Parts: sequence; C-alpha cells; structure tokens
Amino acid sequence: MISVKHLKPKFLLIAAAILITSCNSGTKSTDVTQNDSVKITPKDISVVTSNQQDSISNPTDSKNSESTVKTEQSKVLIYNFHVTNRCVSCIAIEEATTKTLNTYFSKEVKEGRIKRQVLNVDDEANKTISEKYQAFGSGLFITRVFKGKETTIDLTGDGFKFAKNKEEKFIEILKTTITNYLK
Amino acid sequence: MQKITILFIGLILSFSSFSQTVGDTVIANNAANLKVKVLYFHITDRCNTCRSIEVNVRKTILENFKTQLDSGIVNLYILNCELPANKVIAEKYYAYGSTFAITTYKDGKELTTEDLSNWAFKKAPKQEVFVSELKDKINELLK
Repeated sequence: MISVKHLKPKFLLIAAAILITSCNSGTKSTDVTQNDSVKITPKDISVVTSNQQDSISNPTDSKNSESTVKTEQSKVLIYNFHVTNRCVSCIAIEEATTKTLNTYFSKEVKEGRIKRQVLNVDDEANKTISEKYQAFGSGLFITRVFKGKETTIDLTGDGFKFAKNKEEKFIEILKTTITNYLK
Repeated sequence: MQKITILFIGLILSFSSFSQTVGDTVIANNAANLKVKVLYFHITDRCNTCRSIEVNVRKTILENFKTQLDSGIVNLYILNCELPANKVIAEKYYAYGSTFAITTYKDGKELTTEDLSNWAFKKAPKQEVFVSELKDKINELLK
C-alpha cells in the first residue's frame, strides 16, 4: 500500500500537469476557433459565389455547402435520336457525341450530371420522348435542367453539317454547348 | 482527222465534267438581278430527312418564286458538297455535310448569309410548315 504522505507530492505533480495541459489545450482550441472563423467566412462567401457561377462542388467545403451546391447544380441531358435504317451522317453524329463526352466530360458523366441516351424513334417504347422533342428522324438535342426548368437546343443541323466531314468543328460546337449548360 | 480527234476529246471532257456534278441543280439566270441565293448542300450518302429538305426547298422555290427564278432575282443551288467540282463553293459556306443557307445580294455584292440547317432539319418532316416558313423568309429578304 502507498501512504498518503508518499502520494501527496506525486498527486500534486500530476494535478499540476493536468491543469497546465488543459490550460494549453484550451488556448489551442480558442486559437483554432478563431482561425477557423477567420478562414471560414471568406470560404463560405466563395462557395456561395461559386454556386451561382460554377455549380461544381468544392471537396474542401463543409457538408452543408456541398448539399447546397448539389441542389443548385444543373444537369445536362443529351438525346441522340435515329431511325432503324441509319445513314452515315447519323452514325457520325452519334460517334462524335461519344467522343466529345469521353474526351471532355467523363467526370460529369460519372457523377450523373450528364445523361446521354441513344434512342430509335421507330421503337414504340421511345414514342413519348420522341414526340416531346419532335424527333421524327435523326436528331441531336441537348437539354439543360436547372431548378426544374428545361432549356433545349437542337443541334441536328450542326450534326449533319459537320459530324461526318468536319468532326472537330462539330465536337467544338457540342463541347461549348455542354460547357455552357453545365454552368 | 485532227478535227475529229479534237471533237472526241471535247466530248470526253464534257461527259466527265457532267458526271462530276450529276444530280446538282444550279439555276442562276441573271447575276445583275440577284437578290436572294438559296443553297442546299448534301453529301453522297443521303438520309431521308436530307432528301426531304431538298424536296421541300425545290417545292418552295418552284411553286412560289418561279418568276423571280426566271428573272434571276432568286437563284437556286442544290449541290453535292463531296464532289470535287463543288469544293470551293462548299468551303465558302462551311458546307461539309447537309447545309441549308440563304444569302442576300445587292448590286451584285454578297451581303449576308444565314445558315438555316438546324431549322431545316427540324421542319423537314412537316412539309407544309417548311414551305410556308421558308416562303415568308424569302419574301422578307426580297423586300
């Protein structure tokens, strides 16, 4: 058994050490809070700003900011319509669309921000969507969905004009359209 | 003998140039009167929509602007942009595939070109709408 006499100086020493440690940690936590508050404010502002201009979320932002950013993000829907008997231009449009998405938007496709569908308008199952876009033959439509609102651009003519013999020009048009719609 | 040879060569040349532009239509009667040039380019391997556009364009012009076509006020060009003979004009209008464009002219000078390819592909299946809207468009440009 250890006597109280022997314990006292040891206990005092331990108590003093605990006191000093807790004092230091208290100071530390205050510093962190202060630093955080200084850092967080401009960060939060920048997040709000980025929500308006660029909806891609910043991985370093807080959970709340991320969820806000996600609800604010626009989505892009791409529809490649075609008939059963396809011409070379129609096939070229589909291939160039695939190339554009793989080269420039693979991240957004993985995240689900870009959804692309290749649909045969002759297929009864695609009747509703074909009628919505008034796609009676080959067609390329890009739709931006933002806050429940849809904005669509018809790039069919550009596709037929460039996809087969001037693919790079078509890819440029498509890339610009998608980039603008992702904002 | 020499005359026959020249005639023979001439005949071959004319046939070869004809085969290069077979299927093309160029109606350009009087350059001095030109106000609106209607151009439709297509590729060799064509789809139904592309063919419909050509039919609709021809119908619009022939049924509504025959007088202007005859006098040279309106010109009609339907060309295969993949034929070497049409390379220059196709490049001028960035026609690398199906392309529908209207160009305005004044005093023999080219003013503006409007690319209506997206519009044409959208309206092609509805011939009545296509013809009506194109007719209005050309009438507006002829004012």
